[in-house]
Amino acid sequence: MSELPSSNSSRVNSGKSIWSRLPIELGLLIAIAAVICFTATVDDSYRVKTAYNAKEILRQTSLLGIFALGAAIVIISGGIDLSSGSVIAFSGMICCSIMLALAPVDSAGNPDTTNLGVGILLLAISGTLFVGLIIGTFHAWLITVIGLPPFVATLASLVGLRSLGRVLIQDINAAVTTSGSSTKIYISDPLFNDLGRIWWVPLVVFLVLSFLLWLLMSRTQIGRHLYAMGGNEDAARLSGIRTDKQKWLAYCIGSVTASIAGILYCSYVGEANPESAGMGYELNAIAAAVIGGCSLTGGIGTITGTMLGALFLRVVIDSVAKTVKGSPDEFEGLIVGLLVVLAVAFNELRTGAIRQKKFFAGKLGFVSLFILSGLVGIMGGVLSTSNQLRWGTLCGVLALILLGGKAFWERRSR
Amino acid sequence: MTTRNTLVPSVLWWFNQSFLLEYVKMPSTPLIEIKHISKNFGGVQALRDVSFRVERGEMHALVGENGAGKSTLMKILSGVQTDYEGALIINGTPVKFNGTRDAEAAGISIIHQELNLVENLTVAANIFLGREKTNGGWFLDDRAMERESAELLGQLDCDINPRQRVSELRVGDQQLIEIAKALSLDAELIIMDEPTSALTESEVERLFRVIDQLLARGKTIIYISHKMEEIFRRSERITIMRDGTHVTTKRCAELSPKEVTHLMVGREIESTALGKNRQPGETLLKVENLSLPWPGHVRQWRLKDVNLELKRGEVVGVAGLMGAGRTELLECLFGATDVAPQGRIVLEGNDVSFKHPAEAMAAGIGLVTEDRKRLGLFSHMNIRENITLCTLSSLTASGLISSRQEREATGASIRKLGVKAAGPEAPILSLSGGNQQKCVIARWLRTEPRLLLLDDPTRGVDVGAKAEIYQIIDELCREGMGLLMTSSELPELMIVCDRILVLCEGRLTGEFTRDQFSEAAIMEAATGSVTTAAM
Repeated sequence: MSELPSSNSSRVNSGKSIWSRLPIELGLLIAIAAVICFTATVDDSYRVKTAYNAKEILRQTSLLGIFALGAAIVIISGGIDLSSGSVIAFSGMICCSIMLALAPVDSAGNPDTTNLGVGILLLAISGTLFVGLIIGTFHAWLITVIGLPPFVATLASLVGLRSLGRVLIQDINAAVTTSGSSTKIYISDPLFNDLGRIWWVPLVVFLVLSFLLWLLMSRTQIGRHLYAMGGNEDAARLSGIRTDKQKWLAYCIGSVTASIAGILYCSYVGEANPESAGMGYELNAIAAAVIGGCSLTGGIGTITGTMLGALFLRVVIDSVAKTVKGSPDEFEGLIVGLLVVLAVAFNELRTGAIRQKKFFAGKLGFVSLFILSGLVGIMGGVLSTSNQLRWGTLCGVLALILLGGKAFWERRSR
Repeated sequence: MTTRNTLVPSVLWWFNQSFLLEYVKMPSTPLIEIKHISKNFGGVQALRDVSFRVERGEMHALVGENGAGKSTLMKILSGVQTDYEGALIINGTPVKFNGTRDAEAAGISIIHQELNLVENLTVAANIFLGREKTNGGWFLDDRAMERESAELLGQLDCDINPRQRVSELRVGDQQLIEIAKALSLDAELIIMDEPTSALTESEVERLFRVIDQLLARGKTIIYISHKMEEIFRRSERITIMRDGTHVTTKRCAELSPKEVTHLMVGREIESTALGKNRQPGETLLKVENLSLPWPGHVRQWRLKDVNLELKRGEVVGVAGLMGAGRTELLECLFGATDVAPQGRIVLEGNDVSFKHPAEAMAAGIGLVTEDRKRLGLFSHMNIRENITLCTLSSLTASGLISSRQEREATGASIRKLGVKAAGPEAPILSLSGGNQQKCVIARWLRTEPRLLLLDDPTRGVDVGAKAEIYQIIDELCREGMGLLMTSSELPELMIVCDRILVLCEGRLTGEFTRDQFSEAAIMEAATGSVTTAAM
């Protein structure tokens, strides 16, 4: 018995395929490089305007990455934060409201936001971050003291905070300006707008935040305890870990990072608009974390993986926007959905035996043949520029033949 | 048939094998023939070429220590485990189950040690779970299910209302529901996995009456247990397993309980080697009238008025049946209960009441939990991370974990407890149960506790590692630590402990010093006062 463990563990390792030993970060780097190469070959924008494209991608990646890091930490700690999109909208509203309220008043009695000065700016930013902290604390209270599942607690914020922001912004506008209850706040202070518009500001914020959170997660006791709690909460508690405090920290990081992103988004577009800001971004953040290797069951995931996950997501979205010439917004959801499924499936498969896996087993497998082919057909139709019906049908039939062949082969080999 | 082929080579050899007699007596095909079954769980060889047969209508006892492979074998028999080498032959035809349903269809039912009931459903709903009777295929026919349930339970001579929720029943009654379920499935073979581990004496008697009845109706029973008196009471044959291999299958009459124990363990346990000349010091822990409320339960108290005292350099054992409150007692001392306990806990002369395990840990208490997988291990972490988790603050330099210090600390722990592993970075799940447990103990020892609570520390641990864990406990005790341990195996407590306290339904019903140890007396205390306490 004594020799068993060592000999077996080595055999288990050597038995796995090369995929399972490859760190997820390396895989993502290769994938990112591949997508960039593909886009550069198909479309000349990358070659003609290299610097511009690189800056745009880095800005977008940073904006997404900042709150994806927060989402990743909540996921690693065994929870889920669905509220980041609404927190982004709400924090943007708060930030702009503070600036509006403190701005000097012009002759017509309206606040003038063209030159606010550093003091007001810092005040607005710290106020917003404080609000983020409050939101995180509220989540932690709902989850640890009241005992709500994280999904429910943060879902309430997702729905409620945006609505609250829309109501509040009208009252604030009515109170501070003479123009009545507008649903937006415009900030024209150049310093504030530079925060989001100069490409390297979000990038620096993202990199600094990543480094700090990387230190926290991989080099400190708190980080180790977060991983432990995510993996086995009961065991963590019985090991003397204050799981309630850990959860508070995780949810606060989740909402404060979203607040930072909220400020940057706001300064980028120059306005606060809680109706549409950050709409659906919470799922992008979760997607980036999951693509980066975080497991929704908790305890697994890395900061570097999440960074690369966000980059990968943005690179693919940009690639589709460039190659299909459509509006990237319309395709974004489709791409995120596809990538999440593929990334998680890939992660599952690289640890399991891919060759023995049956994809089309049973009745569900049979039905999914047609679902998949239909999906491929629709995609083919949507992506083609002319003769959409013909292309769509062709793609669908081709997919059905291919997948059907695979299914037939699977069933025969049984 | 294989018997004929093997008969040819040497008649003499066959004469020595006692089961030749059985072929003369029982010429019919066996109900179940297990042939060369092996099973490998990632790292651990759980079964190695196991072959034996179970005859129709017999009560066949299956014995072996924890980790001997009994449960794995039964999982294969009941279709839970579908991936194995070897063959299973039922009624002369080879079968390959793809799930528990297949096994049920073949007439095999298993009654797990941890019962497999949905507690918030009624008795009838549980008996017919997954095979509900319906009116015209859409609506549940509760009345028919209740009628049939009452009938089945009546056949077992027990008076349980089929409309009662399972959560309201006592463990013994819950077990009978599983048996009724097996009957409703028309099972030929009923496997009982340590059915008496949570039963009171009167419930055990009733279970055996039910077993008599089942046998009279021609059912076959595989009875898994550690308890010799139960095994020898009714079984016709005994199969002994050890470390995943089949040791022997013999008729009961040819074996004595002592021989069975000997064959199970494979060697004598040197029971006298431990505990000699221990020098208990001053009082470390004193517990007065400790009670733990149990809101919403008929018993009201998980623990009631427990008093105990523990000295430095002393090992005290807590014995009791399942549900007697052993784990709850340790959790109270560790501040890990959901409801605050009442009473007085005095640690090193100071009154304490811990609201969180972190406070208990800071006060010098460690708890090695009972269910290692669920409450002890961080399965996604490696050995190093598992060992240093509680003591990271001592391994940090200016807030950051020093990986050099952490490696050194892990190495020291691994050497001290003799953990057999490929290295500190190996995944914790690549270790055997015993080595995993050593890592959990190592984690707590690194906090330098003065009081170590061990909740069934050798559960799921192989024999060799068990002896090593006993040795570790003995050494810690001699270093002046106070240890309070529970165990589901009484002999183990008798080897390791200086004193044994007995719990029964949350009350302390006995205390024995080493010279008073006797399995019979302790079992009596663990089951004796049950009927009065429950009322």
